[in-house]
Amino acid sequence: MRKPDLDTYSRRAVLRVMCALGGAWLTLDLAKVVHAAPFLSAAELADVDAIAAQIIPTDATPGAREAGVVEFIDRALATVFARMARDFRSQLSEFRLRCRVQYPDVPSFAALPRQQQIEFLQQVERTPFFERIRLLTIIGMFAMPKYGGNRDGVGWKLLGFQDQHLFQPPFGYYDRDYAG
Amino acid sequence: MKTHPLTQAVDFAIVGSGAAGGVLARELSSAGFSVVVLEQGPRLTLADFEHDELKYWFDAGITNDVVKNPQTFRDDHAKRGERNMIRPSLCYARTVGGTTVHYTANYWRFREIDFEERSRRGSIAGTGFADWPIRYADLEPYYTKVEWEIGVSGLAGASPFDPPRSRPYPMPPMPVKSSGVLLERGARKLGLHPFPAPLAINSQHYRGRPACIHCGFCQGFGCEVSAKASTLTTMLPEAEATGRCEVRSESYVVQVVADKRGRATGVRYFDRDRRERLQKARAVILSANGAETPRLLLMSANNRFPQGLANSSGLVGKYLMFNYTARTHAVFEHELNEFKSVQCSRVVFDFYDSDPQRGFYGGGGIDSRIGPQPIVWADRIGEEGASWGSAYKARLMEFTRTMQVASHGTSLPLETNSVELDPELKDAWGMPAMRVTY
Repeated sequence: MRKPDLDTYSRRAVLRVMCALGGAWLTLDLAKVVHAAPFLSAAELADVDAIAAQIIPTDATPGAREAGVVEFIDRALATVFARMARDFRSQLSEFRLRCRVQYPDVPSFAALPRQQQIEFLQQVERTPFFERIRLLTIIGMFAMPKYGGNRDGVGWKLLGFQDQHLFQPPFGYYDRDYAG
Repeated sequence: MKTHPLTQAVDFAIVGSGAAGGVLARELSSAGFSVVVLEQGPRLTLADFEHDELKYWFDAGITNDVVKNPQTFRDDHAKRGERNMIRPSLCYARTVGGTTVHYTANYWRFREIDFEERSRRGSIAGTGFADWPIRYADLEPYYTKVEWEIGVSGLAGASPFDPPRSRPYPMPPMPVKSSGVLLERGARKLGLHPFPAPLAINSQHYRGRPACIHCGFCQGFGCEVSAKASTLTTMLPEAEATGRCEVRSESYVVQVVADKRGRATGVRYFDRDRRERLQKARAVILSANGAETPRLLLMSANNRFPQGLANSSGLVGKYLMFNYTARTHAVFEHELNEFKSVQCSRVVFDFYDSDPQRGFYGGGGIDSRIGPQPIVWADRIGEEGASWGSAYKARLMEFTRTMQVASHGTSLPLETNSVELDPELKDAWGMPAMRVTY
């Protein structure tokens, strides 16, 4: 585990703010308020969070944001998925640059209005970066909560998956009283 | 437990402890021979087998590791091999018991046609399409022996396509799942012949191992109660009980050593502390799966055999074959809860055989199959339709009502599909990485 230094601490504060404010924090320029992060910077975190929230959005039910996917990704890139970290960062930089070129008046992807975020992601959905962040979002949504995502099992609840060891037939509706 | 000294030649050094190595260890040690099994992976226990999808599917919890055991992959010989940093291109269980630890445990037998397809169907230009050197009848007694020794659940005679068998299955089939019921009803309506999937998973207590608890984590996972048969929980303990077999885990064999006459005299390997060791043996058996076995033969090249061992033909590592799969999903009105119990409970083999009228080679089975557990399922349903956004999320919420139908078939042997040594990349022990071209 990382030592809880000042950077980590302020990043935690950012992550808390993100969760607490939901969409409202998008208007803040977080990069100016927070120190550089041990892995992802505050600005990178904000974009990763915004992308993940478009992949599995929050509506009547929890999405990537409530599951803590951005925290998962940040932590995984420094630990279990350290092997992907370098590529991820360079691909993320390309993504951010492309976004700035396309929308020069907006400081970051995270600051784009929702509809423009979706349109931009539709343009890049076949890139290796999008495929990677999509997979990391899914893993963060549904992996065991000990990895930092799937907070309180919200991902599993969304699916209806039960994490237990013992089941007995009938398993579902159609195998009840099935004579064969 | 028996420990063989390195310097004293054992009768057999067996490289790999999976489906082949584990069985050979038991058979040879029971017959009175001294045996050392060298397995590159660790020896895990039932308590290690968690329901941790990240660990077992994406972080080499059981399998070869993309960092320590790197591979490169290319689809064309003109290209340079690229590393995949998520999962290995050729993924196998790197643990005592090998792939029998993490397999799905589908246990259907080959049919007569599989052994003599070339004679009965004719040649196919540009391929190495060939018959087996043996026939189904030669293997039948061994199919029966293994079904009764490790425990296979199934219903003999339920399939009109079943090859002849000398004994029924030792256990009744596993309980049908909702997906099995739906597949069976639909298939029968079409005039097809679904039948209960034979599985090397206990439907009842069998030879000291308990019945399945239906936890749902078979494919890609080790069984936490050993209801799924693996050599780790069947053959290897029996081999060790003879007092003549030592299973040496975390022992990574990198060379078959030969004498001046070119005869194998032992194996060179790295132990768990990365010390180089030499185990002397009168005979060496390579049972390190279809990819690592040719790699080891190629790595064992010496002055006398510069192309690698057993490679006067130049064919070592060539004609790499996979079983292909294709899948699709359907959503039903009520819950199926596919995440529970074994991966597959009904199979349809009506399209198993190749049919020239289809205009292509090959056939295969169709089954209703769990689309594995949440992460992999959520990834795969994105292959059809929305893969992110609100529409995708709506599909995620259909998890318990979704069924996957999978087909699995053969592929043709092509010389260009191969396993070689990568000319540049090395593994964590400094040995040449595997390069796969397919």
